[in-house]
Amino acid sequence: MNRTVSVHRGALRAGALCLAACAALLSLSATGAEANLEGTWRIAVSQDAFKPVSGEIPFTTEGRKRYQENKRLQAQRNYDAYDIATARCASPGLPRLMLTPDRFRVWQRSGLIVFQFEWNRLFRQIDLGLTMPRVRITEDDAAVGRAVPPSMGRWEGDTLLVNTEGFGINTLVDNLVPHGYDMKLTERLHLKDADTLEDRVTIEDPEYFTRPWETVVTYKRQPDAAFAEDVCLDRLWSGQPTLPHK
Amino acid sequence: MKFERVMAILSRRLIRSVLLTTILVCTGGAQAQPAPGGPLPGAGGPPGAAGPPGEGEPPPFPPLPANAPEPSADLHDFNGTWFHAGMLEFQIKRDMFGNKTPFTPLGQKVIDRRVASLKNGTPFINASAKCVPMGQPWQMDLNMPFQIFQSKDRFDVLFEEYHGALQIFLDTAEAAQAGYMGRSIAHWDGDTLVVETSGYKDGFWLDVNGTPASKNAKLTQRIRKVKTDHWFLEIITTLEDPTYYTRPWSWPRDYDWRPDMSIFREYNCEEQVGAKEGLDWSLIPEPND
Repeated sequence: MNRTVSVHRGALRAGALCLAACAALLSLSATGAEANLEGTWRIAVSQDAFKPVSGEIPFTTEGRKRYQENKRLQAQRNYDAYDIATARCASPGLPRLMLTPDRFRVWQRSGLIVFQFEWNRLFRQIDLGLTMPRVRITEDDAAVGRAVPPSMGRWEGDTLLVNTEGFGINTLVDNLVPHGYDMKLTERLHLKDADTLEDRVTIEDPEYFTRPWETVVTYKRQPDAAFAEDVCLDRLWSGQPTLPHK
Repeated sequence: MKFERVMAILSRRLIRSVLLTTILVCTGGAQAQPAPGGPLPGAGGPPGAAGPPGEGEPPPFPPLPANAPEPSADLHDFNGTWFHAGMLEFQIKRDMFGNKTPFTPLGQKVIDRRVASLKNGTPFINASAKCVPMGQPWQMDLNMPFQIFQSKDRFDVLFEEYHGALQIFLDTAEAAQAGYMGRSIAHWDGDTLVVETSGYKDGFWLDVNGTPASKNAKLTQRIRKVKTDHWFLEIITTLEDPTYYTRPWSWPRDYDWRPDMSIFREYNCEEQVGAKEGLDWSLIPEPND
């Protein structure tokens, strides 16, 4: 083989490798190096309340006042006055649903990520906005807010960034912490490893908190198995606990 | 075979009162309630649309956008969002062949009693009013979307209405215990998914008027994915229930492919029903035959 042909073959080989690497990179960026969060999950450590990653919850004066009032009502077991999820089986809302001690499934299909909760058959939806605008969000929804508004999400590498706003005021952040209409949640969902899902939640609500604060919840992968048909009202009407309390 | 759908024709006031009583009891504070005579929740018509749909008339939803993604061409893949765009049958009075519903004397007695209770303005308490799962026919009949998530051995179905959920198992060993929605085991018959459900926790109503099914009912749903000028799921439901019917009988439904309806409205009926004052007091307990 003469030197010219050898050089040309070398160049072609290098070019092919480069093209392959570029294609892989493009493919990676086209898919966003997204993680696959599908599966069944359960919270790693059972908890009723969110713990800030550092310090205390930065309550405003109004926030602390409402929090203390909720504690007083909790001591009296007067749940209907401040916690209708416990009192009536109403939706616990977000982010409280993410503290469920029961399992949830994640479905990642067609530009939509859905969390299917075993507790009382609830769900939350995260729209990745990849296809057409979704209909069915009405002015009524916007006016009164929701316990679990639909979220918007996008991938940042292998982390799912989720934004949620449009809340009503009939829910709590967790078992005691209040929030208002203006609460905004930012979540970063990330697989720490194949069997560990982390949700890093930033909570902001200028009425109740002096600044945004962050908390982290971890979930462990569970075997894929049938969910029980959970009807919270049946438990309420038979005097059983609706939501676990510590 | 031509399918006939016989619509129950009731007065506009009766339909509105039944649906409003049932739906108003069951929708929570997160949804604004319609003024009497106004659009029903879930009607979803254009803002400012005047008045509710007519008797059984489907609500005025916009057509599927032209750029909507198609479902998988695989006829065994039911993943996605589906929606009953057809007329709401307040009472299934005839089967798919046009024959009258084959009631036993007890079945006739029960439906007559329930229809009379509606006319009297004192409808009976039912699963829908109690905000508990109400069985497949009612769950799927109201004009609200549902999503199917399909895995190797199971179909998970999530409904906007009543935040309902249904699991259909292809592997009997994995099937969940029965509940209000029974226990559903399925197999493929060619391109038709045959779902057999039994073991209901309680009797249930097939429709708004209260066509009955006992807890011993067996429901068989034959589900096909079909494409004509649009994609839809065709479901033929057969009910076997010797308590109320002299023979098995069947009725059809279509559910359109509607990926644009995949973000659901919130259905937080427990917020009202779970309160101490609880159920709408115009609803009364039904005699237990």
